[in-house]
Amino acid sequence: MATRRNRRAAGAIALVVALATAASLLTAGGAGAGSQSPFALPRQETLYTSGKQWGPYTGFNPLRTGDYSTGTLGLLYETLFRYDPLKDEFVPWLATGGKWVGRNYVLTVRNGVKWNDGKPFTAADVKFTFETGKLTGSEYSTMWKTGLTGITTKGNVVTFKFGGRPNFQDWDTILYTMAMVPKHIWSQYSATEITTGNADENFVGTGPFTYAAGKGGSQTLQWNRRNGWWATKAYGLRMPMKYIVDIHNTSNTASLQNFLQDKIDLSNNFFPGIDKQIGGKIQTYYAKAPYMLSANTAWLVPNTTKAPLSDRAFRRALAMSINVDRIVTADYGNIVAKANPTGLLPTWNKWIDQAQAKKLGFKYNVAGAKAILAANGYKDTDGDGYVEGKSGGDINLRLIVPNGWSDWQTAIQIIADSAKDAGIKITPAYPDYNSLVDERNSGKFELVINNDKQLANSPYSYYDYLFHLPISETMTVVNFQRFTQAGAAPWALTLKFNKVKSTNVKLAKKYQSQIQKYILDYLPAIPLWYNGMWAQYNTSVWTNFPKARGKGLQTTPTTWNGYLNMTGIEALANLKRNT
Amino acid sequence: MTRYLARKITIYLLTFFVAVTIDWAIPRLMPGNPIDGLISRINADPAASEELHGFFTKSFELDQPLWKQYVNFWWGLLHGDLGPSIAYVGSRVDELIWAALPYTLALLVPAIVLSYIAGNRVGAMAARRKVLDNTVLPVAYVLTATPYVFLALLLAYFVAFQWQLLPVSGAYDFSLQPAWTPEFAQSFLSHWILPFLSLFLVSFGGWAIGMRNLIIYELEADYANYLQSLGTPNRLVRKYAYSNAVLPQMTGLALALGVIVGGALVTEIVYGYPGVGSLLLTAIQNRDYFLLQGIFLFIIIGVLIANFVVDLLYVVVDPRTRTGLQGQQ
Repeated sequence: MATRRNRRAAGAIALVVALATAASLLTAGGAGAGSQSPFALPRQETLYTSGKQWGPYTGFNPLRTGDYSTGTLGLLYETLFRYDPLKDEFVPWLATGGKWVGRNYVLTVRNGVKWNDGKPFTAADVKFTFETGKLTGSEYSTMWKTGLTGITTKGNVVTFKFGGRPNFQDWDTILYTMAMVPKHIWSQYSATEITTGNADENFVGTGPFTYAAGKGGSQTLQWNRRNGWWATKAYGLRMPMKYIVDIHNTSNTASLQNFLQDKIDLSNNFFPGIDKQIGGKIQTYYAKAPYMLSANTAWLVPNTTKAPLSDRAFRRALAMSINVDRIVTADYGNIVAKANPTGLLPTWNKWIDQAQAKKLGFKYNVAGAKAILAANGYKDTDGDGYVEGKSGGDINLRLIVPNGWSDWQTAIQIIADSAKDAGIKITPAYPDYNSLVDERNSGKFELVINNDKQLANSPYSYYDYLFHLPISETMTVVNFQRFTQAGAAPWALTLKFNKVKSTNVKLAKKYQSQIQKYILDYLPAIPLWYNGMWAQYNTSVWTNFPKARGKGLQTTPTTWNGYLNMTGIEALANLKRNT
Repeated sequence: MTRYLARKITIYLLTFFVAVTIDWAIPRLMPGNPIDGLISRINADPAASEELHGFFTKSFELDQPLWKQYVNFWWGLLHGDLGPSIAYVGSRVDELIWAALPYTLALLVPAIVLSYIAGNRVGAMAARRKVLDNTVLPVAYVLTATPYVFLALLLAYFVAFQWQLLPVSGAYDFSLQPAWTPEFAQSFLSHWILPFLSLFLVSFGGWAIGMRNLIIYELEADYANYLQSLGTPNRLVRKYAYSNAVLPQMTGLALALGVIVGGALVTEIVYGYPGVGSLLLTAIQNRDYFLLQGIFLFIIIGVLIANFVVDLLYVVVDPRTRTGLQGQQ
């Protein structure tokens, strides 16, 4: 009996050992062997991407812009226009053009475009898509509340009618961000399915790829190239890869290892220390610092309803006390760039009133910060090295970033450290993301870093972010700082600017210069650095990735939501097999 | 026997009710609001955001009073509906969990069973062989004292990153989709080894030490000395000792199940294994009340069933329990 048991146990142990050995052998000859992968998709035909998808692949609704799965917009669904942020121009896409005729926007729909089920893409699809904005819960509801009154179609012409002066800046954004969906499929969906459902049963789009595999907890999402994509004929664009496989991110470290082992071609993850790897097969947009394009601004957002942050002199002193260069070099290894004092992204340089920014913008200057504090009644009376408030109480500001965002965690330590030199006490804290959102939205916070607003066609979204009124009990996406000290003026200017056509450069500049003056004078939020459009290329299988130099390569190198419909799709079409 | 079972089942049902109630309450005690996080991620324009906030709060029935949410929860549960996921709007919680569960079970079941069998056997052998005792025991001590997450990180770093013998993350190669093919099986196996070993080794150490100590204790007991003085073969004495030592180990198994499940969840996160652990992390990060409830519900049911099975096994293995039961009748 005992012998039999012994044998059974020995068998179990042997099984485990055998499994381990077998797997080691298998992997030594398989996964570890690099390009000679024995697996299903041929490596030379497949582009592997990562860095966009952090949750399961459950969202395939392109009208939910915040959380659709990688490529849903861009690879499967497409927009009327694309926007090229580097050239600042709109590229006609599913529309061949559009123009304002009085208060009407007249759009011409491209002929010859077909949905991947063979049905033609028509003006009726455009009308249907825009009308989904009327549904409760739609992210596009605002346009119907701020001017758009009706849509008519005639042949391939769609006319959008506006009741008052349209919000031109907003409208331009919608033109290249709103995915066109097929009426013949989507009209069968309920209102809730359209606005919040996943639309994951019929993958009918006009784009260059079709859905192949990967849903829910699947660790990859696979897109297969579609034959007969309209843009091949219209623009000569052809996708060189047969498959795109997006890899669900579990951690940046795991992605880095896979990237270094040639298993990922385009990584849009944040890799600390990547600057030391660049060269040879690993490349980035710029060959030198900052290596990456800028995607958004990291702002230090002060709660302007709480003293001393309600005092704009104190905010200026705080801004001047922060050594952003140290964050750029020590924290980021130069893969980010210091922000302009207006906070506007480099792609909006032409909208920045540079002379004004130079004159009024803050600079890192500890002595200057100390002088401002002293002049405004912030003195260190108890000799602890930190200034006290005007009424004499200690100042100790809590600065928060989400737990686990390691680059930001280091950044706020540097901020606390450099503010100390000016006598401002800051205590870094790292609540988890949702607790931070709760603190921030309800106005309980003191200082928080935020970079929610992304690169777009117009700085309007940035002004809205800084000055939006009215202040409600919960501020969910804009004016977290609850800034009202300049009255309604900056917000009124922002609204006026929204009603300026982008072609009216003079007026657009005039309003923006005035808005920027409020940013520089009042510092409703302190711009620190530009977060990069993280994009690392492993060129062992694919080359010709986006670059600062090289004909036609100046495109957005990322699969993040909202970038394929900029010039990301061109970036993919430009790729060449490394031979 | 019937009475014994009835009593056990009553206790399990009561435990289930209390555990599920706590499971419902805990996510709601966390600071932060799931809808705020969701709106923040969507990042639509302010007017649309406000509308979306109201829309989602209502559609997830979070605008209702807590008692009603609690009643709805039980109602849904009894009808097999775990509710919608907040983090993955549009997905049902049960769909997400069923998709992740096979991966977790593939790690957990072999790790628990094999570590228990192997640990007990090796521990028993170590108790009577000095060489083994001096070699296996220290290793077992180190293993059992190692937190799951730490061993997982060590293995990932050395085996996967430094020596590149096995893949570091995921459950299968990126070029594959789950399918019943030899290719997939091979890939699955190579990705399974490291997370499995992380769980197996820690548990193995614990069982080995426990069994080794128990066997030594049993071999020094009066009945063992008596048998030996009667000239009973050593093998038979050891057999009796083993039979007695297995009982506390089995109780230990029931107690350790929760810890092992916890270890599996953390291990999955380290290896980016697409199981329930990874899902749980996302649920926590997003304050996804329904998904959290659903996952904990599965864990509660799993642990309770496993405990129940151990209880039943006890009846089979321990003659005294059987006698006790017969006495009751």
